[in-house]
Amino acid sequence: MVTRNKDLQKTTESLLKKKDSQAPSKKPVSVPGDNPVIYPLDLPESDARLQTPAVGARATRPDGRLHGLGQTKYIDDMSFPHMIHAKILRSEYAHAKIISIDTSAAEAIPGVLATLVGDEIPVNTFGPTFQDQPVLADTIVRHKGDGVAAVAAVNEQIAADALEKIKVVYEPLEAVFDPQEALKDSAPKIHGDKTNIYTSKIIKKGDVEKGLAESDHIFQRQYSTQMVEHVPIEPHASIALWDGNGRVSVWSSLGRITLGREDLSRTLSLPQSKIRLIGTIVGGNFGGKNEITNEPILALLSKKTGRPVKCVFTRGDEFISSTIRHPFVMDYTTGVNNDGKIIARKIKLILDGGAYCSWTGTTIGKGSILAAGPYNIDNLFVESYAVYTNKTTTGAMRGFGAPQVCFAYESQMDEIAEKLGIDPLELRLKNAFTEGSASPTSQQLQSVVLKESLKQASDRFGWKEWKK
Amino acid sequence: MKVEITVNGEKKIADVSPETTLLKMLRDEFDLTGAKLGCDVGDCGTCTVVVDGESVNSCLMLAARASGSEVLTIEGLATFQKLHPVQQKFEDLGALQCGYCGPGMIMSAKNLLDKNKSPSVDEIRDALAGNLCRCTGYTKMIEAIQEAAKEINTTNAL
Repeated sequence: MVTRNKDLQKTTESLLKKKDSQAPSKKPVSVPGDNPVIYPLDLPESDARLQTPAVGARATRPDGRLHGLGQTKYIDDMSFPHMIHAKILRSEYAHAKIISIDTSAAEAIPGVLATLVGDEIPVNTFGPTFQDQPVLADTIVRHKGDGVAAVAAVNEQIAADALEKIKVVYEPLEAVFDPQEALKDSAPKIHGDKTNIYTSKIIKKGDVEKGLAESDHIFQRQYSTQMVEHVPIEPHASIALWDGNGRVSVWSSLGRITLGREDLSRTLSLPQSKIRLIGTIVGGNFGGKNEITNEPILALLSKKTGRPVKCVFTRGDEFISSTIRHPFVMDYTTGVNNDGKIIARKIKLILDGGAYCSWTGTTIGKGSILAAGPYNIDNLFVESYAVYTNKTTTGAMRGFGAPQVCFAYESQMDEIAEKLGIDPLELRLKNAFTEGSASPTSQQLQSVVLKESLKQASDRFGWKEWKK
Repeated sequence: MKVEITVNGEKKIADVSPETTLLKMLRDEFDLTGAKLGCDVGDCGTCTVVVDGESVNSCLMLAARASGSEVLTIEGLATFQKLHPVQQKFEDLGALQCGYCGPGMIMSAKNLLDKNKSPSVDEIRDALAGNLCRCTGYTKMIEAIQEAAKEINTTNAL
């Protein structure tokens, strides 16, 4: 064992000794007949969690034991005395004006304790980039996943039944579902009356037109990717309690609790010091639980009823109302010389943003910067536009735009290799970033082992033999 | 309506409404929250429990239908002294990440090993076909189940 200094070595030895000498106590503990069961099992303690050099030691997941026992408490496994349940009514239309919402029939159902509509929310907008999204839509619905009203009842079944009694009068508006259609002047405007483009980015390097003109071959193609929902096995879930002291506690399966607290503070018009947001163990996030969804609604329903309020998304809510991955439409034009050297690349990305911005700012940035691929290209032009459509809101998802562009540039690399009769691996090695390469935004890259990785990987899976 | 049921070896009685599913009864009436609600339509398998020796999506089974049955949930697998080999190997190999699919996955695996002491990889895949995991992929789980099978066979642990 290599240790960095004598003190550490001593600590390590004593700790390891201690660990060995402490035989796990196996005394059965008597528990009452009812659950929760307490398991007197010693938690795993790997060497990596002691004062040892962690590199090279086997690490054990600190939460693995409770996961395997089924004892991890996710939001839906928590309950509080007098807790009630909320359900959210979603829009009937992709794009419509809300003329009126009548919740009286729902409120008359025995067991329903409160309802909530958008204009009761102190500041009815939120969003991590632009605050363009209502917590509950009050004047316009912009996609089918928009919530228009919420019900809190003594159980989920009554809350779900009550949703059907809420009368919403809509005036349908023309909707647009294709981002390229949404770019046209004649397209209905989803926010404001000017344009559906809500964020854009341009990256320029060298002279792309000159580079294309000087290239031996030009490759041109449009690629597109589809919507992807994260589908965490745990749906979005939260519990809110507005207590008698005017303080709000929220338990939520939320990945970004500090941002969530800011959004709660804004929407509820409460100072952050009065808000406690407890992020619990999340049953799958993948980027889809990075912003608030129903938390302000639950807080206000709790304020109205004095009870803790829980809401767990149905799988349907999850698909239409939570954020998804941006579909991209990607136009790639690439100039290549006979030897496979890429001379110039011109890219246009259109991001189908759905109804609201969410994490589009991050996605368009990362998508644009990575759009040319990990290749040395002297002449580059990337333009990207995020466009509103009357569809499910797109937001953060693993990679923030990187997988979409990767599909396009790697597909095109294969087409180039095939047309020029060059081995696809050789084509990539010829153009790949090396130590000190400049990224499209002129960042000097360090610790670049792309070529080495490609070579090792292709050796290991037998690229040469496989090709035969 | 009254439902009498044996859960993890213990007789239990609950008074539930007719539309109550077995999952809801286990969670709400008996506080056994190991089995989870994932999709509510029998696709994801995180609600898997073993009813009379068969693994079942408890979100699709009415509580009344399980009346008189023997139900085993994830809470009934470990003893005070020992984890079930499947639980132990899932932990050792880091087969679970977020853990939400874990209880269902482990119950399916346990039920497989009860019936087939040396399953092939294909048989394991088949047994897990009704359980979705979005974090890990299934490689570590399959390895863990193979390891558990080995342990059960060598030590006759069950």
